Amino acid sequence: MQALLSFENAPPFAAPLRFFLTAPLFAVLAGLLVAVEGPAVFASRWMPAALAATHLVTIGFMLQIMLGALIQILPVVAGANLGRPLLVARIVHAGLSGGALLLAGGFLFGRPLLLSAAALLLALTALIFLGTTLRALIGVPSTSPTIRGLKLALLGLAGVVGLGALMALGLAHGWALPLAALTDLHAGWGLGAWAGVLLAALAYVVVPMFQLTPGYPARPSWWFPVAMLALLLLWSAAVLADWPVLVRLVQWLAALAGIVFAGLTLRLQGQRRRARPDATYAYWQFGLIASILALFMLSTATVWPAAADLAGWTLSFGILMIAGGFMSFMIGMLYKIVPFLAWMHLQNSGQARVPAPNMNRILADLAMQRQMKAHAAACGLLLLGAVWPDWFARPAGLAFAFASGWLGWNLLGAVRRYRWHAADIAAKLAAR
Amino acid sequence: MTTIRTFMTDDHRHCDDLFAEAEQAIAKQNLPAAQAAFAHFRNAVLAHFACEEKTLFPTFEAKTGMRMGPTQVMRMEHEQMRALLADAVDALARGNSDDYLGLADTLLIMMQQHNMKEENILYPMCDQHLAAETPELLAHLESELTEA
Repeated sequence: MQALLSFENAPPFAAPLRFFLTAPLFAVLAGLLVAVEGPAVFASRWMPAALAATHLVTIGFMLQIMLGALIQILPVVAGANLGRPLLVARIVHAGLSGGALLLAGGFLFGRPLLLSAAALLLALTALIFLGTTLRALIGVPSTSPTIRGLKLALLGLAGVVGLGALMALGLAHGWALPLAALTDLHAGWGLGAWAGVLLAALAYVVVPMFQLTPGYPARPSWWFPVAMLALLLLWSAAVLADWPVLVRLVQWLAALAGIVFAGLTLRLQGQRRRARPDATYAYWQFGLIASILALFMLSTATVWPAAADLAGWTLSFGILMIAGGFMSFMIGMLYKIVPFLAWMHLQNSGQARVPAPNMNRILADLAMQRQMKAHAAACGLLLLGAVWPDWFARPAGLAFAFASGWLGWNLLGAVRRYRWHAADIAAKLAAR
Repeated sequence: MTTIRTFMTDDHRHCDDLFAEAEQAIAKQNLPAAQAAFAHFRNAVLAHFACEEKTLFPTFEAKTGMRMGPTQVMRMEHEQMRALLADAVDALARGNSDDYLGLADTLLIMMQQHNMKEENILYPMCDQHLAAETPELLAHLESELTEA
């Protein structure tokens, strides 16, 4: 409620921006790692460099953007005002950046000390973030599927970070853990209960609003987050009890739920009333198709486990789901959020006396559309790399680094124009 | 039963429909149709702002005593949207569709995040505090919107 009371309570631009500007650098790093290490990265999902690159993307890119965006939107979407957002942003940003680098280093060089430090730093960072957001969300009633989804997604965050920290410490100290089963479970918590539920909760709001589509049907929207979380709890129980058949059944159901959500979103976007296919829309379409393919692979492997042993199968799933799906959704949303926030802050600093330039002047659609093509091409090369690593691993890494660098360049350009206009507005106000 | 939330939310959706019509017209390069459709949209939005500022917000403020609270922020956002509407009309009059599209994009997001705050926070507060006055208030709001 507080957030509504005054603009001063809205988080300053610097709070989310630090996450959005550093995230592309981690994706560049992941791409360069693949380019340097070459075909060996794609030998299996357990290769140290593959684990390092995966976490540079999931923590350094995805988690950065998700937490940065939450700091910005919790006040608007849920009326939950974080106390001292800039301080929280600084701490969480430093923790995530340091944690992602330590973890990637720990995997790559096989150093137990780095793995332990990463586990502790990331767990502490997640605890600080969860503590702050839970305090803000206490007393906020779940009046919409989005608010309930956000709350449940935070449980998913606790699950994925908790399991991840446990495994990193286990690796560092040589604990006897069932690492293969736990890794799948960790990925399930991360991609399903955390990123998937968060995506759905936000999609309920942003898809109808910004594409002017019909709304998501109410009942499935309420149930999707609950179902996903329940499935992950069941999956965890199945791993504890060592029931592989139940694990596969749960994976199949989770894949099905994801396909239904993505298919529904595709259908809604098909009914959109906006005349122009902008970069955000194109990114979402690409992301939805990639995720549906990934989830079909997942469901296939649950009924036909031998599929997972095919060359490049699991890596292809990861590439489609993470680079093709989640990264695309996030970049698509960033391309709306960053120019809008720039406009809003300029508007406020102009005090209605000096007009702010519109969003397209901050970040032009053409620049975003071109970068999107580079990202799509990089995803295609990564898939080829998973199947024919000798030929495609290095070009794929370079292409991914290039597309991510381009994203960073676009965002940086928006911020440079923002700063220029902010100085211009201040000068004009002073001259009055 | 119609609540303030459902009634006002329906009017938001009505404004969205008119926005979409204007955008379709500009996509078809039909400038006169776009100007007409945008004028239609603008009138609907201004009527919505007016009935909030003249009737709904003052009633809420009188009942709750919250004068510098959420309604004040909503009024400021109305001002920002009025400026965007005026700029967009300007861009259309100049036949500058690039500028128009940029302004329309900005306006749409501004409008949607504003609507979200009203629909999820302010209108439920109105329903809670103004339960006794609701039937009379709704009649008022309805006549103001149809007159405009």
